[in-house]
Amino acid sequence: MAEEAKFKCLRCMSEFCLPYTPGVTEERTCPNCMSNSVRRLKEKKE
Amino acid sequence: MADVGRHPNIELLAYSEVENVAGYVGNFTVTVRKKARYVDVKECTACGDCIDVCPVTAPDEFEEGLATRKAIYQPFPQAVPSAFVLNIDECLGNNPIACGKCLEVCDKDCIDYDDKDEHVDIDVGTVIVTTGMEVYDPTELDEFGYTRYENVITSMEFERLINSGGPTEGHLIRLTDHKQPKTVAFIQCVGSRSENKGNPYCSNICCMNTVKDCLLIKDHYPEIDIKVFYIDIRAFGKGFEDLFQRSKEKGAIYIRGIPGEIEEDPETRNLKLYVENTTAGGTDCHEVDMVVLSVGVHARADSDAIQKLLTLQRSQDGFFLEAHPKLKPVDAATQGVFFAGCAESPKDIKDSVTQAGAAAARANRLMMQGKVSVEAITSTIIPDLCKACGICVKVCPYNAISCDTKAKTPAVVVEAACSGCGACSAECPFGAITMKHFTDRQIEAQIDAMLEYNSQDKVLAFACNWCSYSGGDLAGTNRFQYPPNTRLIRTMCSGRVDKKFVLRAFARGAPIVLLSGCHFADCHYINAVHWTQRRVEKLWDELEKKGIRPERLQLEWISAAEGQKFATVMRAVEDLRQKVTPEEIEHTKKALAGVLEPPKPKAAAKKATEEEAAAQAAA
Repeated sequence: MAEEAKFKCLRCMSEFCLPYTPGVTEERTCPNCMSNSVRRLKEKKE
Repeated sequence: MADVGRHPNIELLAYSEVENVAGYVGNFTVTVRKKARYVDVKECTACGDCIDVCPVTAPDEFEEGLATRKAIYQPFPQAVPSAFVLNIDECLGNNPIACGKCLEVCDKDCIDYDDKDEHVDIDVGTVIVTTGMEVYDPTELDEFGYTRYENVITSMEFERLINSGGPTEGHLIRLTDHKQPKTVAFIQCVGSRSENKGNPYCSNICCMNTVKDCLLIKDHYPEIDIKVFYIDIRAFGKGFEDLFQRSKEKGAIYIRGIPGEIEEDPETRNLKLYVENTTAGGTDCHEVDMVVLSVGVHARADSDAIQKLLTLQRSQDGFFLEAHPKLKPVDAATQGVFFAGCAESPKDIKDSVTQAGAAAARANRLMMQGKVSVEAITSTIIPDLCKACGICVKVCPYNAISCDTKAKTPAVVVEAACSGCGACSAECPFGAITMKHFTDRQIEAQIDAMLEYNSQDKVLAFACNWCSYSGGDLAGTNRFQYPPNTRLIRTMCSGRVDKKFVLRAFARGAPIVLLSGCHFADCHYINAVHWTQRRVEKLWDELEKKGIRPERLQLEWISAAEGQKFATVMRAVEDLRQKVTPEEIEHTKKALAGVLEPPKPKAAAKKATEEEAAAQAAA
């Protein structure tokens, strides 16, 4: 089942959550500027 | 069907399943499992003696469960071959023999309880996929009460009810009291054109099926009232509008609005439909004797298996995707594979027959030639550099590369199967795959030339041949304005854009690099675009580690029809470029200085370069 992950748009720099399944490549679009340059923000290990 | 069964050049494998497809255009080997029928097809004359004595009854799938069949049965009348099949899971006569009545009664000794599945390999030149579709099950739509109210049936069940070969011999009756209904309601778009439940697309065939059913009812039972509830009637084919008008003239009443709820009168078992009439306005209640849900169609549940066997693409609605919607409407992206019928999209009989004819002609044309012309843009393995890691095998969307990773023998490309996307070349970590055309040296030369002067003012964009580059072309022909400092490098697929091309562009002083390709559903090379995204995601991480802002590498999916989007993206990317400072560019150049250093002169690499040069010269 798809979980949610945090993504950042590399054009407008907005951050948002999208469904994410590890290992599955999907076409993603920024809900703010409609760019496809959407990068998943990996959680930093403490 | 009988003609097909009798044709000397057609071998019909009924009750069989394709288990594996190997090879490529002109040389496919298809492994088929012929399921055990437990009846000798050659001897069985379908006399029916076994049916008379079989004690087992089960719902008849062909009659939509409105009738029963025996454990030994003919799937449907006129089935080819005209022989029975025994469902061994339902039969009582198998191991230990508890019944065996069919065995006793069969004069021809056709029954064989020890029959086994058989595997056969068939060599074929081309494959036509005609796996059809499935009908939508409306049980999940609570508001219509299907399965809760017996007098609510689907259009498929209705089809059997009014068929002269059906369970009622063509007499239209209500299922609750077996009496002829006085009023029949049809509800359109059940499971179609719905974002919430069912499918978002139009199923294409339901409107005209209902119109046909209305005319059938009115021809046989003029006294029955018919009400059709619809969103809009799509009668777009030749003669369809006439048919629609005729059904209205015969007395069918069309009401624009879909019932929100159906209630059953517990005494009469009549059904009350509450509907908003969107033409006249207001909410009405219609009492009818029977409701027919005009159900849509969807892709088969087992399409996944066919997709993997033949390396096919599927559109978002689940149906198989053609190579090109206008120019290759019956071809699959995999060479030598074609589509016909509802496997590709919902369509009626006429369209299915037309497409089948086209697919047969396309397949025939290929095979008549006896040889296949392939695009010259294919990949080539440099054996001396190949470490037999097998990554290219995983990457190739067409299964065109084979590699024995255990024996560590270099990978081999089947050129007839290769479509030249170049994803393997871009993913190979050892630089052991080169392309014929769009070679590394050609692309690197373009990068160097474009960024030789005033690199800080340019936006370098890689665009795939089929979508993004055409999108750019469309922007030009439509006069959509975009900044003139855009420099486009065309590759056959965005999957061809190697990591080293992007790094080279930054090392040469590019402020911004844009990588653009097809939308995932439109990828000309099945799924090569997935590798583009994975590579860019890795590149963003790598750039960040080197102290380069990842946003300087932009990714966009632009289709050939999105000229406007192409121009908008280019303007947005130009805005980003203006924010990149000369100091930042200098820092990037220093960080990536190693990228521009020539590779160490290994003997193998030298040989590879020579081979590449020779290939270019030959081309």
